[in-house]
Amino acid sequence: MARPAARPNRARAVPTTAPRIPRGMRGPVLISLLPAAVLFSVFFAVPLVVLVGTAFTDWSGTQMAFVGVDNFARLGADPVFAKVATNTVFYLAASVLVQVPLGVAVGIVLAMKVPGWRALRTVLFIPFVISGAAYALIFSMFYNPRFGLLNNLIAPLGLPQRDWLYETGTARWAIAGTFVFILGFVIVVTMAEITSIPAELYEAAEVDGATGWQQQTRITLPLLRNAIGTCVLIRLLADIGMFDLVFILTAGGPDDATATLALYAYRAYLHGEWGHANAVGLVILLLGGALIVTVRRVFRIGERDR
Amino acid sequence: MSARIRTTVATAALTAATLTLAACAGGEPEGDPGGETVITCATCQESPTDPFLQYNFEAATRFNEEYAGQYRIEMLNNANAGSSEDRLQYYQRLALADDLPDLFQLNSAEIAALSETGTLHDFTTELDAEPDWADSFQTGAFDALTGAEGQVWAIPQQRDPIGTYWNTEAWGSVGFETFPTTWDDFEVGAEALAQQGKLALALDGDWATMLTWTNLIGTQPGGVDFLKGEIGEGGDWSGNPAVVAATERLRGWHTAGYVNSDAFSGEFSNAAAAYLSTDAAAVPNGPWFVATNLQTDAAAPGLYDSTGYALSPGWDAGQGVIVVSGAGWVSGATDEASLEAVGAFMRFVTTAEEALTQAAETGANPAVVVPGAELASADLEPLSAGLVIAAAEAEFTYPHVRVFGPAGFGPAWKNLWPAYVNGEMDTSTFLSRLSADATAGA
Repeated sequence: MARPAARPNRARAVPTTAPRIPRGMRGPVLISLLPAAVLFSVFFAVPLVVLVGTAFTDWSGTQMAFVGVDNFARLGADPVFAKVATNTVFYLAASVLVQVPLGVAVGIVLAMKVPGWRALRTVLFIPFVISGAAYALIFSMFYNPRFGLLNNLIAPLGLPQRDWLYETGTARWAIAGTFVFILGFVIVVTMAEITSIPAELYEAAEVDGATGWQQQTRITLPLLRNAIGTCVLIRLLADIGMFDLVFILTAGGPDDATATLALYAYRAYLHGEWGHANAVGLVILLLGGALIVTVRRVFRIGERDR
Repeated sequence: MSARIRTTVATAALTAATLTLAACAGGEPEGDPGGETVITCATCQESPTDPFLQYNFEAATRFNEEYAGQYRIEMLNNANAGSSEDRLQYYQRLALADDLPDLFQLNSAEIAALSETGTLHDFTTELDAEPDWADSFQTGAFDALTGAEGQVWAIPQQRDPIGTYWNTEAWGSVGFETFPTTWDDFEVGAEALAQQGKLALALDGDWATMLTWTNLIGTQPGGVDFLKGEIGEGGDWSGNPAVVAATERLRGWHTAGYVNSDAFSGEFSNAAAAYLSTDAAAVPNGPWFVATNLQTDAAAPGLYDSTGYALSPGWDAGQGVIVVSGAGWVSGATDEASLEAVGAFMRFVTTAEEALTQAAETGANPAVVVPGAELASADLEPLSAGLVIAAAEAEFTYPHVRVFGPAGFGPAWKNLWPAYVNGEMDTSTFLSRLSADATAGA
C-alpha cells in the first residue's frame, strides 16, 4: 500500500487575538459605531431584505401576496426582458472594451509625462464628473438628425444622414458611442498604479536593451493587472444598473432597442408592479455578484505576483 | 458587557430610534394657538420657468394674505411639482404612507390612478352644498375629473381648446390664406411647402405628435367615442378603423418629409425650435405656447405677428378641436379643519378674478364662466381668445388622448412610434402593442 505523499509542513496556526478594546473605551466605541450601523441597516440591509422578499410577491403598493417564482417565470417568458438583458450585456461589454483599453493606453502615455499631461489629465477627467443627465443632453444634441454635429460632420463625406438615436439599427451603438469619453477614472487609476512600479525595473530593462514598447508591454502592463481588474470591475458595476443616459437619450426606444434591465424595472415600477420590478432588481443583483466573482478570479485582484 | 456599557448602548439605541421615528412621522394638520389652520401645498412653489407653478405660488400668497389668522398655505418645495412620468408614483408612495399633501395638482389620468388608493378627497359634498359655485364652472369642466360612481376628485384649473399655430406667411406662399380645413388640403399645402424646402408640421414624438394623432382620430366618425371611452377600456385598438386611418396618415407625413426629422425625442423643444425658426409652418399646442415660446427671444423676428391659431382640419365632415380640462386641484386632507381650509382655497382660486389672473399669467383659459365684460377688459391673448370663439363652431370636440387613455400611454407611445414610422412594424402590430403596453399593469 502506497504511502500517501508527505504533506508539506504547514505552519502551525498561531493563535491570534483580536486587539482588545480598553475597558473604559467599549461604550464610546460601540456608540461611535452606532450611526454607521443604523445607516447601513436603513439604506442597505433593510432595502436588500425588502428587495429579496418582495421579488417573490405580487406587491403593487396596495396589495402583496406570495407568488413564488411567478415573477421570474414571467421574466423568462417575456421577449422584451430577453431584449433588455441582451442590451445590458452589450453595454457592459462595450463599456469594458472601450473604456478600459483606451483609458489604460492613455494613462500609460500620460504617465510618461508627455508635454501638457496635467492639462490633458484634467480635460479627460471632466466627462467622468459631469452628471449623467448633462452628459446625455450633450449627446442628444450631438446625435440630433436635423442640426446635430455628427450628421454635419459626415455630410461632406457623402454618408447618409441618420436619426442615430431613433433608428433601431443604430440606436444601441449610438448609446455605446457615448462611453468613449468616460475614461477619466481608468486613466487616473492607471497613472496612480504606474507610480508604484519600481523605477529599477525599467532601468534594468533598459540596461538589457529593452525598447520603450517592450518596457510597457512586458513590465507596465503585467504589473497593472490589479488596477485593470479593479477598473473592469468598477465599470461593470457602474453600468449594470445603467439608467439615466438611456432614459434621457431614448427612453429605451425605439421598440426597446436601447432599454436596459434598470429601465425595464423602472417601467414595471411605473405600472405599479413593484414585486415584478424587484424581481428584476434581484436579477441585477445576482448578475452583479457573478461579475464580481468572475472578474476577481480572472484578474486575481488583490493577489501579488511573485 | 458591564452594566454601565449596557446602559450607555441602550440609551444611545433608544435615542437613535426616537430620532428615526420622529423623522419618519407623518405630518398632522398644524394649528397654532391663535386658531390658524395650516395646510400644505405641493404645487405652489415659486418657479421662474413654469408659469402655472408661479401662478399657484402667487395665488397661494394672495390667499394667505386674505385669510391671515384663519388659514395659511405652507408651500412645499417639490421636485415632482411639474409634469413628469414618475409624478404619479411619487404621490402613490405618499398615499401609501398616508402622507399626501393637503393640496396639489395632477392631470386626469393621474387622478384616475391615484383615486384607486382611496386617499383622495371627494369634492361632491362641497359642490352639492354650494350650487352657485358648482354652476360657475364651464360645461364639461368636470368630465375628466369624475370617478365611476360620480365622485369629483378634483376642482378643474383650466379649460382649454388646443389648436394649431400656423405661419400665415408660409402657408400664404403656397396659396392658403387660411389654415387648411381638410386633411387633403393640408397635404396639398404640405407638398407645396416641401418643394420650397419647408416643413409643414413640427412634431416631437410625444405631446405635439399625440395632439395631431388625436385630431386625426377625433375628426372621423366614431373617433370621439374612441377618445372618450374605448381608449380607456383596455381593448386592442388595431380593430378600430378610425384609429388605423389616423395612424397611417400621420406616419405618411413623416415618410413624405412633411415633419421635422428630429420628431421622435419626446422633447417639445424640438418641435418648438422647428416652428420658432420658421423651418416648420405649423405646430400644435395649447395657448400657453404664446407666452412660453412665441413671445420669447427664441422666436424669429415678427413670427408672433404672422402666426395664426386654428382649429384642426377634418376628413370630410367638418373641423375639430381638442378641449382639455384635464389638470385639476386635488386634496389628500382628511381632517375637518384642513378640508375647510382646502375648500376655502378652492373657492378662492376659482373666482372670476383669480381665473382671469391665471389666464393672463399662463395663457390658459378659465375653467369657470367669466362674464363677457370682465373677459373683454382682461385683454387676454388674442390668439387664444380667438380660438375659444372658433371652438364653439367646431363640428367635433374631443379630449386629448391622454385624458381618458391609460396611464402608461405616453411611455408606450414614445417607445413604439419611432420604430413604426421607420417601417419596423406594421400598423396592426403597432396598435396592438401600443394598446397592450399602455395598459400593462393596469
